Amino acid sequence: MHWKRPAVAISGAALLTLAACGGGSSGGGTGAGPTATFSAGGGSGQSIDMSRSDGPAPPIDGAKQGGTVTSLTNRGASTFDPTEIYYTNTASIGQALVFRSLTQYVYNPDTKEMVLIPDLASSWKSNADFTDWTFTLRDGVKYENGQPVTCADMRYGLLRSMDRDAFPTGASYSNDYFLGGDKYKGPITSGSTKFPGITCNGQDLNIKMTKPFPDMPYWGSFPAMSPIPQSASDPKKYRLHPLATGPYKFDKYQPGTSLTLVRNDQWDPASDPGRHAYPDGYNFKFTEDSSKLDQLIINDQGSAQTTLTYENLLTADYRTATQQAPDRVVTGTSPCTFFWYPDYTKITDVNVRRAIGLAYPYENAWLAAGSIVGVTRIPATSIMPPGIPGRPNKTYDPLGIGGKNTDTAKAKQMLKDANALGYELKFYYSTDDPNSVNVKNEIVKSLTTAGFKASPVATTTNQFYTLTQDPNSPVNVRSLGWCSDWPSGSSWLPPELGSNSPQSINLSKFSEPAVDKEMNRIQTLPLDQQPDAWYQLDKTIGEKYFPMIPTGYSGSAMMHGSKIQGMNNDSTFGYPTWKDIWISS
Amino acid sequence: MSLTNVQVDQGPSLAVPEPAGKDAKKIAGRSPTKIAFDRLRADKVAVVSFFIVLFFVLIAIFAPLITRAFGVQLNAGDPVRDLDVFGFPRFGPPDHGFTWKAPLGIAPSTGKDNLAQWLYGARTSLEVATASTIGSTLLGIVMGLAAGFSRGWLDRVITFIIDVFLSFPFLLGALALAPILVNRFQSNASALDKAQFVSLVLILTFFTWMYLARLIRGEVLSMREREFVQAARAIGVPTTSILFKELLPNLVAPIVVSISLGLPAFVTAEAGLAYLGVGLTGRPSWGQTINNATAYFREYPLYLWAPVVGIMVLVVALNLLGDSIRDAFDPKTRR
Repeated sequence: MHWKRPAVAISGAALLTLAACGGGSSGGGTGAGPTATFSAGGGSGQSIDMSRSDGPAPPIDGAKQGGTVTSLTNRGASTFDPTEIYYTNTASIGQALVFRSLTQYVYNPDTKEMVLIPDLASSWKSNADFTDWTFTLRDGVKYENGQPVTCADMRYGLLRSMDRDAFPTGASYSNDYFLGGDKYKGPITSGSTKFPGITCNGQDLNIKMTKPFPDMPYWGSFPAMSPIPQSASDPKKYRLHPLATGPYKFDKYQPGTSLTLVRNDQWDPASDPGRHAYPDGYNFKFTEDSSKLDQLIINDQGSAQTTLTYENLLTADYRTATQQAPDRVVTGTSPCTFFWYPDYTKITDVNVRRAIGLAYPYENAWLAAGSIVGVTRIPATSIMPPGIPGRPNKTYDPLGIGGKNTDTAKAKQMLKDANALGYELKFYYSTDDPNSVNVKNEIVKSLTTAGFKASPVATTTNQFYTLTQDPNSPVNVRSLGWCSDWPSGSSWLPPELGSNSPQSINLSKFSEPAVDKEMNRIQTLPLDQQPDAWYQLDKTIGEKYFPMIPTGYSGSAMMHGSKIQGMNNDSTFGYPTWKDIWISS
Repeated sequence: MSLTNVQVDQGPSLAVPEPAGKDAKKIAGRSPTKIAFDRLRADKVAVVSFFIVLFFVLIAIFAPLITRAFGVQLNAGDPVRDLDVFGFPRFGPPDHGFTWKAPLGIAPSTGKDNLAQWLYGARTSLEVATASTIGSTLLGIVMGLAAGFSRGWLDRVITFIIDVFLSFPFLLGALALAPILVNRFQSNASALDKAQFVSLVLILTFFTWMYLARLIRGEVLSMREREFVQAARAIGVPTTSILFKELLPNLVAPIVVSISLGLPAFVTAEAGLAYLGVGLTGRPSWGQTINNATAYFREYPLYLWAPVVGIMVLVVALNLLGDSIRDAFDPKTRR
């Protein structure tokens, strides 16, 4: 599969956070685990509700139409082509406001969870082994130019999602699962729309899979699964002004600087069960200074009252924000776990790996990285984060330190017993990022106390990801994170720890035939047994092999002005619930 | 140094004694340098600035002793022990009163002692500034003398090099060089620190020597046709002697002025580069502290103010001292 950097480096400063990267490798075999039944508990997008297919979305009490929302962020946005927006910022904005896909997420205020409901597809069904999916599309949906959305457009959009050369940054699930997707080069690169795997029968869109893909409705919520008319599809132009099917359309877009959205009068609320679209428009301003935008929103003067940010507040400002206006700070989970990956081929003694886990300065490193402990960084013990079905709220704890209580004395004893005192650990840090340097200092201090020889290797932020994902780089511990695209153990264990998974994702280069066998076995289990089996495997791996050290789950801490209402945390992205936002007077 | 020629040369403009008559003999015996120092000593601003600069120099030299006297340490903080959940200090400013445990407070996020960082930061600033000044002055003098005194191709070559360096954007060079160095010395932290220091000094040197070189070239051009140089050549004095014994002493004024104005520029340049993330990372510096502290300007002003005030006072003092030195050495200044 195509790996996108999730931007969870040693510093924790997310520059280009991606939606995620679960799923199978293009080599096949890592498949997916069915997730039709979900357990209760905190987390990301746990349930599907196909019955909510009729629009309009149930109104929010007291919500009013009108006003313009301003959104400030320090990150850029270089493309808005629905096929290639796989970064959390563009995907979240695109999915909620501009593009309608097969399915969509909505916020459930009672459970504070996201629910997957129908969008352009009013219903869907599959055969028993999830290799044949049929989506029934809605009638009467139009693009912003008045043209009707047809099944052929939907099919063309899906074909486009398989064009890896034209859209290298897009996710590759279509190639991995659609029948023939591994051979088909895509409509732009190959010039052909001949693809027997996807067919239209009236408003019924049929997709055939090479292997079971029970998670298809989740993949259907991505902007890559939205309709695109073949006539309007010159990628170079389309990325600057894609045709809207949602409640807002592009007014002015300057890549990397700003985006103005205005109402799309062709959008019919009656056809949309999820989007409220209360504001008249949105102003997105990219690459703003973090410190400045925090102050602006905290001070809440004039137009700042209708301003929000989906960036996490800086540590310096979080305290003031929560003291002065706790009701304007939105916190919640986001679907990522950060790891320290010891190289399984180099650090072969499990006790040395455990000693690293004991010696890692969890809380010191979080503070030094500028994370807010318990808010933007949550102690982690299991590989799968909260919200993955099968994972209990209280997980196993292989080191007995609750994911945060560093124990250098025990680590030293363990090293001594393993006859490995003075074991050298080499890891990357970025010299041009003060957070990264601070974290490095804390790690060196703690590892040295525990009897390791810490040899940090200097690099720059630009190269950090490339070097970290290079399996041949001269380090023996790597630091990165993993985010799930949808809640399932299959988007965690097979890509992170399967032998078939590329080593740019399986960063610890973990490979155990017994574990591979168990993963394959779980994928053939009945649906309702899979979640628990994934968790049991997670536990077995953690207790027996300890191949990666979870260094915390991620969380969001966003803020909005006093007139912004309805902004909650969308736990599938760690972003605002755009669809529910409205402006009070 | 031999000052005979200087007196012959400068005599008419300088040695015209205002209170003609009684002190004529004494004045005739004073060298221009001595006159300049006398003028400096009488200049209150210069004296105050000099003591401020001296104060910083002493801080830089005795940084380890001063930190020990205050009972603080470099890099001794422990975030979990010293900071609350928000990353703010558990003692000292901004939330708690003054404490001798950390007279300037400790840094949020890391718990480093601000005073220790500040003292060692002063040391880094002055080390970089001094080394760069020495480097750029020496290079500027040599290139300026060579260009000015040699007629023909060498002059043209050096002038061309000067123009090239003047047109090359300094910041771009610094930004481009930093990652290259990091990659070259990536696995050896102490070598990286040394390499960063040396490269910073070299960058600052190579992008500033041209100004002094051009100045000196111009001076030498106007001086080399003077009688004392011609006389020296006529009696067969070797070129190097003419350059260093006859010409150089006459260039003391522009050189001293260039040094005194260069020092503060280097202090700010070092801080600026550290702020941009391309300066030193292996040792404390004011620029790095400012870079870390800007986000805290509202919540924890002292954290930001300490290095800012340090740089400001040092740079203003150096600049004022430089101005006074220039005035003192300029024979045309009347006071």
